[in-house]
Amino acid sequence: MADMVTIQRQMDLTFAEINYLIRLMYATEDEHTKNLTLNQMWNKIAHLQFLNQLLVAASFQQGQAAIPLQNSPQTMLPDSTNAPTANNQMEFTREQLAQFTGMNGQPAYVAVNGVVYDVTNNAAWSVATHFGLSAGRDLTQEFASCHTGQQWILDTLVPVGRLIA
Amino acid sequence: MSEHPVLPPESTDNESVAARLAREAKRQVAQGNLKKKKLVYLELNGCSGNIISLLNGSNPDFEYMITSMVDLLYSNSLMAAEGEQAVQRLFDLAAGDEEFILAVEGAVALKNNGMYHLVGKIGDRPVTGLEMAELLGKKATHVISVGACSVDGGPSAARPNLSQSVGLQGVLDRHIIKLPGCPVNPDWFLGTLAHLLMFGEPKLDDMNRPLMFYSTLIHDRCPRRPFFDQGIFAEKLGEPYCLFKVGCRGPVTRTDCPTRKWNDHVNWPIGASTCIGCAQFGFPDRMAPFISYDTTKE
Ligand code: SF4
Ligand code: SF4
Repeated sequence: MADMVTIQRQMDLTFAEINYLIRLMYATEDEHTKNLTLNQMWNKIAHLQFLNQLLVAASFQQGQAAIPLQNSPQTMLPDSTNAPTANNQMEFTREQLAQFTGMNGQPAYVAVNGVVYDVTNNAAWSVATHFGLSAGRDLTQEFASCHTGQQWILDTLVPVGRLIA
Repeated sequence: MSEHPVLPPESTDNESVAARLAREAKRQVAQGNLKKKKLVYLELNGCSGNIISLLNGSNPDFEYMITSMVDLLYSNSLMAAEGEQAVQRLFDLAAGDEEFILAVEGAVALKNNGMYHLVGKIGDRPVTGLEMAELLGKKATHVISVGACSVDGGPSAARPNLSQSVGLQGVLDRHIIKLPGCPVNPDWFLGTLAHLLMFGEPKLDDMNRPLMFYSTLIHDRCPRRPFFDQGIFAEKLGEPYCLFKVGCRGPVTRTDCPTRKWNDHVNWPIGASTCIGCAQFGFPDRMAPFISYDTTKE
């Protein structure tokens, strides 16, 4: 686990950057730069919050195993060491898809319009369930009935292959 | 800008907005600027959890607050009248031309023509919740659904739904303000009512929930959010990390719980455990499982 000194140094650094951004905000007249700076400030503050949480966790951690640092779910790519996710063109039958229920340490996959998506770390799929639906199934109809015309939702998901038959 | 901007140090967070609304309504009534409206609070098929939650409101307490804002004509839990006398009051309202606001907690039981839930008797004739919901619902100037059961059936309509319960909208073809939550937070109800009295209906979203209380996605304001973004998940309750892997419904639920909190603003579910999505439509069946240890990788 990251040691306290590192966390504190990071925090000091972030504070300095925020101070710099605040001065920039005063100096600039340009709307675009202002918005950009505001956005950066937001990120910095989120980072600060994270570091602070890490400190809280560090005190909780004493005597326990290290924090399981993992890939960020937002940037998570399909796991390249895992055979079925090795490429986006993997083909799934319905039976094969049915194994990816998200239970017992499996990833959670669902199919919509013939494409298989990974929803393992999708925020709306806590414990591989979503409004009473579970993973490992073709949910084309369910998607159509609740998210008509919301193709963008699919665009945010990670495709892992195609559903055949 | 409004005529009277709220200046610091007056707090502008949403809990103070609710409190300010309620206080202002009470003041306006006391000064005679606002005529007291009448309120009927009907408890239908449910656990009375909402009225208990409301009574939990404090500074000022609920009963004091509500009676200084409105004339509370009927409330199973709070009024002194009982029996036939009380039920008769409801029929008088339905027949007369007094104006009133109707707040309903609990679902409407449809089975056997409503016989699974009675609100009282007139002589020997049982009066069902279904009958009252329809009678008063048609008549009221405004209708507010209070809590999950009234909004869309909630726990009363959970599988196997023996009483064939539905939400109030299921028997009323009219506009209803919906305050989901199991139970509702006292501020959500008092704030909505105060707004209704002073300024008319608050701004609603496309599911008829007041935006001032129901527009925040819990996941967006959650104090554990930094852990979600970094992919650090709790494996059991009690760990201080993101609860996504054990069943948190914060990412699909919209309320101001993270900032308002509960029980006098001291704590809230994610302070100790997962959000179970009690304020989302479809609760509880569609929010299950509330917690699971048999779960996804990473
Ligand atoms: S605990 Fe729940 S609401 Fe909070 S960040 Fe995790 S998933 Fe989101
Ligand atoms: S955090 Fe979730 S479960 Fe808790 S009261 Fe709010 S909506 Fe309901």
